[in-house]
Amino acid sequence: MQQRVITIVLLIGLGFGLVTLGSGMAAWRLPDNERGYAPQQPIDYSHRLHAGELGIDCQFCHTGAGQSRHAGIPSSDVCMKCHKFVTSSFAVLQDESKQADAEKRKPQPIISAELRKLYDSLGLDQQLNRRPDVQPQSIPWVRVHNLPDHVYFDHRAHVVVGVTCQRCHGPVESMERVRQFETLSMGWCVNCHRETTAQGIDGKPVNAGTSCAVCHY
Amino acid sequence: MSPRTQAHQSPAPLRLEGLSRREFLEAAGFTLSIAAITGCGRAPVVTALPFAEQPEGVVPGRTLTYASTCPGCAAGCGLLVGVRDGRPLKMEGMPEHPLSRGGLCAVGQALPLGLYDSQRLAEPQQGGQAANWRQVDAQITKRLADIANSGQAVRLVTPTVTSPSLQAAIDRFLARFKDARHVLFDPVSSSAILDAHAKTHAARILPHYRFDAARLIVSFGADFLGTWISPVEFTAAWQTHRAPTEAQPTMSRHVQFEGRLSLTGAKADQRYRLAPDEYGLVLSHLLAKLATRAGESEPQADLAESPIAAAVLDQLAEELWNARGASLVVCDSQEVATQVLVNALNHRLGNYGQTLDLARPSRQRQGDDANVLALVEELRGGKIGALLVAGVDLTHNLPGREALARAIGNLPLSISFAERLDDFASLAQFVCPDHHPLESWSDAEPVQGLVSLSQPTLQPLGHTRSLLESLSRWSGRQEHAYDIVRATWRERVLPRSESTDFRPFWDQAVHDGFVQLDAGPAPTVSEFRGDAVELTTGRPVDQDLVLILYSKVGLTDSRHAHNPWLQELPDPITKVTWDNYVCVSPRLAGELGLTDGDLVRVDSGDPATGLELPVLVQPGQHDRVVAIALGYGVRGTDRFANIGPSWLEARPTLAPGELVGKNAAGLIALRDGGLHYVRGAIQLTETGARHELASTQLHHSLHIPANVAPHGAEVRDVVQQTTLAAYVRNPQAGAPESHHFSATQLWPEDHTPSGHHWGLVIDLNKCTGCSACVIACQSENNVPVVGKDEVRRQREMHWIRLDRYYSGDGDDVDVLQQPMLCQHCDNAPCETVCPVLATVHSPEGLNEQAYNRCVGTRYCANNCPYKVRRFNWFKYQRDDARQNLALNPDVTVRTRGVMEKCSLCVQRIEAGKIAARQRGEPIADGAILTACQQSCPAQAIVFGDRNDPDSRVSQALADPRRYRVLEEFNFRPAVAYSRVVRNRDKAPPPAGGGAPSTGGAAHG
Repeated sequence: MQQRVITIVLLIGLGFGLVTLGSGMAAWRLPDNERGYAPQQPIDYSHRLHAGELGIDCQFCHTGAGQSRHAGIPSSDVCMKCHKFVTSSFAVLQDESKQADAEKRKPQPIISAELRKLYDSLGLDQQLNRRPDVQPQSIPWVRVHNLPDHVYFDHRAHVVVGVTCQRCHGPVESMERVRQFETLSMGWCVNCHRETTAQGIDGKPVNAGTSCAVCHY
Repeated sequence: MSPRTQAHQSPAPLRLEGLSRREFLEAAGFTLSIAAITGCGRAPVVTALPFAEQPEGVVPGRTLTYASTCPGCAAGCGLLVGVRDGRPLKMEGMPEHPLSRGGLCAVGQALPLGLYDSQRLAEPQQGGQAANWRQVDAQITKRLADIANSGQAVRLVTPTVTSPSLQAAIDRFLARFKDARHVLFDPVSSSAILDAHAKTHAARILPHYRFDAARLIVSFGADFLGTWISPVEFTAAWQTHRAPTEAQPTMSRHVQFEGRLSLTGAKADQRYRLAPDEYGLVLSHLLAKLATRAGESEPQADLAESPIAAAVLDQLAEELWNARGASLVVCDSQEVATQVLVNALNHRLGNYGQTLDLARPSRQRQGDDANVLALVEELRGGKIGALLVAGVDLTHNLPGREALARAIGNLPLSISFAERLDDFASLAQFVCPDHHPLESWSDAEPVQGLVSLSQPTLQPLGHTRSLLESLSRWSGRQEHAYDIVRATWRERVLPRSESTDFRPFWDQAVHDGFVQLDAGPAPTVSEFRGDAVELTTGRPVDQDLVLILYSKVGLTDSRHAHNPWLQELPDPITKVTWDNYVCVSPRLAGELGLTDGDLVRVDSGDPATGLELPVLVQPGQHDRVVAIALGYGVRGTDRFANIGPSWLEARPTLAPGELVGKNAAGLIALRDGGLHYVRGAIQLTETGARHELASTQLHHSLHIPANVAPHGAEVRDVVQQTTLAAYVRNPQAGAPESHHFSATQLWPEDHTPSGHHWGLVIDLNKCTGCSACVIACQSENNVPVVGKDEVRRQREMHWIRLDRYYSGDGDDVDVLQQPMLCQHCDNAPCETVCPVLATVHSPEGLNEQAYNRCVGTRYCANNCPYKVRRFNWFKYQRDDARQNLALNPDVTVRTRGVMEKCSLCVQRIEAGKIAARQRGEPIADGAILTACQQSCPAQAIVFGDRNDPDSRVSQALADPRRYRVLEEFNFRPAVAYSRVVRNRDKAPPPAGGGAPSTGGAAHG
């Protein structure tokens, strides 16, 4: 009887241990495999909201993707195209507007905490006017997709032949905070280059090279 | 504790008591696995900083190109500045420019390293101490006002000023002083040419030489392809008649008389050794013969016997006579009488108006030596109130430095505008550092009617100020350089053009970089004055040694001595880096018992000017001539003492406080109102000491007699040449007869390129060896500088080298230059021996090197017959964060233990393919240019797709002059050469010295 209890306790312990270990195992990876990397960003920017819900095209902000090696992170003034007017979430603004109507006054400008960081980077005050004493500062975004120094990846080459952004970056439009979706390892790159050369993109033939100097020089 | 017990106990900790072997392994394994797990952590956090406000047109990672003017010298070549993410990175020639035609020399290519130089002055200095502009301006303005009131003399010294804006600013600045003069001092002056034209044409101007209009060029010492006045322009013009084709087997003829072996002499069809003090006599003989030929019967002067055989001169005179109006005689002499003779020859031949343009003269050399000599006298006499020096190191480049320094120390006011603390700046009371030219607005008019602009390509890195702004401020104005240049263009340039509206005219000029003006005020030139001509009748009596002071290709005068790229650029002829030396002929060396590296003392009679320098035995040099390069021993070059990697066997290249090379300016002779770079009565004394020169090529070729040569080491035709006469008879003349070439392949044809098949052809008939490609490649491909000690160990890293071959005997040699780079063999010997497949063949015919796969066995370098692979023995110095800004972000910076070599600029090929794909078009021929090709002043390099039968490279490959190096081994290189054709009758001596040892076999 006692032995059976011990066995059951041990089995439960083992099972528990396996579950804990197993879930931890999922996060394990080989060196340099950064898949799943989703660092905290200086502003809680939601790709799900912008790219998913609002349906803004990737290249509306990442303009470099079609013109340069780097897709680029949009400068703060790109954000201002919309956020000059949208200073907080719609619900909050609407509440304030209703309340102001009820109280027969002008609605107060409301700026959300996250957007405040954007305005600070451009040196804007409460009324979104330029503060002469403040120099605009870059927002220190954390890079999610990093390639080793000896790899040359050119966004333009991929965008012009019609490789979708999601092919490498995954369903960013459903991510609240961006995480690395693929391994971005050499084997993964080469596989895709082989497959696309064999299959083409949207029925069009593509010559995706696999010789070393396509990426390493 | 007693010593005894100590002795007993001491070994105990070493025994790891109580730890069994098994336990030790467990502990070690645990430690290892923990270390491995920690290694699996995330990579360090990398932030990416976008612009807060992105400037219009700027895309991160994309290169923007700005049109500008090369500030490297007064030649004013067209420059395209590639700016990437706010950093100027790559200097390229401007193909549309009428003078340089897309070429850019080594100095122009090396500009970024001067820009990102952490030793440039970042703020003004007063009395050797850092100061601020307000302080300095206040003091200078006050002192200048005092000087203006007291009427003391003001002297402003600059080298040739081609900038209309700067000239106007100088004139405005000097106008308020009673006794003010602008002294034009060129460190390497051509003053005698201008003075001679003052005598013969009553106008002190420099003609614009038109080498493209000349079918016969006779040069007396003028190194017009290497260093003389405007070498890139002259090379670009000269090369237009240097490529005979089957359809048109003609080319220009080039005869050179010279004392030392120059780059131009090495390229000449016919070269005669002539001491520079005998130029006048030979010119007089030619003039007399031409007078006879013209049918004049005036009594001829009694000329001494010519040092050149009469038959040679007869033939040359006949050739000149037949090429009337299409010939050109040039000379680098600083003797006005000799230059007058040159003018008389050109006049007699009707060359003025044809190959020499006086209506639109050149402004590239304006130095007035008489004024410089007057300035020296005034300084010594203490008659000057204020001395301002810009753009030239006054005391470094003049003899009698100590006396000058004392005089400058006593001046009421001395101001230097130097970018670095050069010799004069260290003596001056105030240093008001000018911007680097890539940081400021300026303009230039190198040839009358061609006005070009320089625009800033980045924010100034230090608190420097443009010379234009400094002068303007002290003239009581406060203008920005941009406004000054714009105002000059509105007032002085616009009226000379056909436009009337300034705004579009200016915008177009900024876009294009230059404007060509149809109407220009032509200088008033008189008819040729024959009475100025006085024949040189006598030979120099004493047959003493004659010294020639010359400037080196790549380094020119002292202002680029801070640039390690240029210091490590091998001299195209001597192949020596990091030094100047005394060149002597093999016969003279034999007489004096000297060999390479022997330190000798050079004396000219004045003990103060004595100089100790190592000897270099130079074939092809006149036996009476000793040659030393100027531009060395520059203050501040002691910074290169530790430039090499620090390792166990590293030897210091400079003693503490020593400079790179020695300054030979002390030997310049000041006489007859001129700066003379040639002087007689030179004595060489052996000191017994030695100084090892850092040469990239063995000084003497290893010759193995055929009867003892082992199989495979026979003399091979590595470089090929022929004569025009032979070429006309057989376009394939010069090809070796004994090629054991066979089409049989050892390897299966398993990598036949189906898409592109890249290839490169170099026309050796056009290539002068100017080495612009070497620096272009270094800038494009992040090639490190290794330092003098490592060059001595033959570990230089240049991806392209110029192999120089001598043929003939030691007195009169033929020189051939062959650029050697990775040949991208289809059957590459390096690929088969790499154990890790780090070097493999691409489907487009490139031999690829994957740095991160390379483990550094160096098998590939051993197996490469062309010796073009370079091994990173060290992690070469990249400590200077400022200098690292010059690195090209498109090319990996290689680390220690990795092999590297020419990639045919694969980054440019990939960029070109992507750009073509984006346009949806196939890659146009000529759309992809390798870095060496882009800058080549002679347009000798063609790159393209060999699978496209219409491409220029396919046409060049079909040329009968084409050959491949070591073709008989069937490596099938993608790089080919076009044979040298010399325009002369006599067959050249067998070229190529055979064994690859002449080509620097010991590399790598």
